[in-house]
Amino acid sequence: MSLLKVNDLVSYIGLFTILQGVSMEIQQGEAVAILGRNGAGKTTFLRTVMGLVKTRSGSITFNDASIIGKATHKISKLGIGYCPEDYGVFDLLTIEENLVLATHKKNAATRDRIAYVLDLFPDLKLAYKRHARTLSGGQRQMLSVGRSLVNSPALILIDEPSKGLAPVVIEKMALALKEIAKQSTIVLVEQNFHMALIVTDRYYIIDEGRTVHGGLMKDLENDKELQQRHLGL
Amino acid sequence: MIMNKLANMDRLRWIELVLLAVAFIVLLIIPQISGAATITMVSRIMIFAVFAMAYDILRGFIGVIHLGFALFIGGGAYFVGILFFHQGATIPMLLLAVVGTTIYSAIWALIVGKISGKSGMLATAMITMAFSEIMRNLMTVWRTVTRGEDGIAFRVPAPFNDRTMMFYACFIFMILMAFVLYKFTKSPTGRVWQAVRENEQRAIFLGYNTARARTIALLVASIVGGLAGVMFGLNSRFVNTEALGMQMTYDAMLYSLLGGAGTLFGAILGSTVVILFQNFLLDLRPIHAIFERWLLFFGALYIVVVMFMPHGIMGYYNAWKEKRAQKKRMAKEAASS
Repeated sequence: MSLLKVNDLVSYIGLFTILQGVSMEIQQGEAVAILGRNGAGKTTFLRTVMGLVKTRSGSITFNDASIIGKATHKISKLGIGYCPEDYGVFDLLTIEENLVLATHKKNAATRDRIAYVLDLFPDLKLAYKRHARTLSGGQRQMLSVGRSLVNSPALILIDEPSKGLAPVVIEKMALALKEIAKQSTIVLVEQNFHMALIVTDRYYIIDEGRTVHGGLMKDLENDKELQQRHLGL
Repeated sequence: MIMNKLANMDRLRWIELVLLAVAFIVLLIIPQISGAATITMVSRIMIFAVFAMAYDILRGFIGVIHLGFALFIGGGAYFVGILFFHQGATIPMLLLAVVGTTIYSAIWALIVGKISGKSGMLATAMITMAFSEIMRNLMTVWRTVTRGEDGIAFRVPAPFNDRTMMFYACFIFMILMAFVLYKFTKSPTGRVWQAVRENEQRAIFLGYNTARARTIALLVASIVGGLAGVMFGLNSRFVNTEALGMQMTYDAMLYSLLGGAGTLFGAILGSTVVILFQNFLLDLRPIHAIFERWLLFFGALYIVVVMFMPHGIMGYYNAWKEKRAQKKRMAKEAASS
């Protein structure tokens, strides 16, 4: 059974049609990369799944139920966590408050999840009572990813976690995401091919708003011609 | 455990606690050592502190600009005035005024909540301003009940007819409302308010129904603002259409901004500083007629605050505290490494 199934999705912003036919299936427990050049429609795809961009046609089903037309907060409550590319943390709240805010309720399970996040990202533990605005870019990204984990979502959508980070931090983040992928289903939008290679097993390539290719990451790693054609590597 | 906590407390926290204790004691003894004018002025400060805290919930915590906030202080005062004047100054009438004000404030909160969910921040600000003007005009033309712009002077029931008792009622009211609002801001609901203020879309990503959070904030702020209006009526023993005027909303805005929006305590500080300063300027009238125009000085004060302390007194103080803590942390890290 597919956890997320997208079929021939067309979505638009104002007068512009951005996605013009995206299709993909994500199985439970998979880590899948969405690759493509700048402006291909990768971020819009995630935003469409979250209900932030309007759909013209096509279907999105999550756990076999359609989520098209649902309000974003209801989609989130169904079990889809989202880390936007601008981190999406609340600067004026502390790390603790950011994490607790995401849990909706305080109980033993959420306390365990917060402990799991802090184990995964020890940097956050050290700065637990500090306001998010005082954190570095890497720490903010860790908080963003960590926050999406505290509710144990069935699916996590992560948008370019490597953006603007130093190579050493990217390496750290990639290893943490690899660890998360052992327990959760991940859809990772990424420009950094090296990071996608570490974290994910399968990929889809989006180009000009359409899914143009899909397969295993290890095959893509060896296919230089495909990398050159669609990713410009 | 409490003793341990006290022993480990930072020196600055000690100073803060001592200052709070001093303020508490000063407020307790004011009626014993001051004249009627001071007692009435401090009662007014405490009522407006609550009104400004209620405004701060909207502007400072969830980010709604409500330009018709006078609806609540004016509404509460009119409920008291109309009932006492026409039905008699009794405790049952006071209770009726409290219930009526609560329902009236809740209805306005739900209307504004519906509008703010559909319109932008600017449209909400303009529509709420129009609401308070409509209400003010309604009170002006409904002369048989409200006596129009002349307003209603009325008696208040015992024990509120005694200035000292009224002072302590205002004191208890302020402490109680500050506690309730503080608890709200520290609750999960309060954290969602702050998240919505900072970035509504991010709060939605986390699964929060932000329209509902905004309506809850409007309900809390409007009802507390309305209750401040009931106290305002009891303290003034007079109400006219000025209670529903824009100046009331501007006052709440100024107190909250000057003290520090989004801090609650800033609203108390702001109303204290502004009302004391206003009275100080009025006392200077015999020296020069310019002091009659105290609004001139307030305009200048407002510009200075916005330019040099955009987050108000408490915002400035909190930023300084954070810097201090960061310096301490860095020194500790340097020492340990």
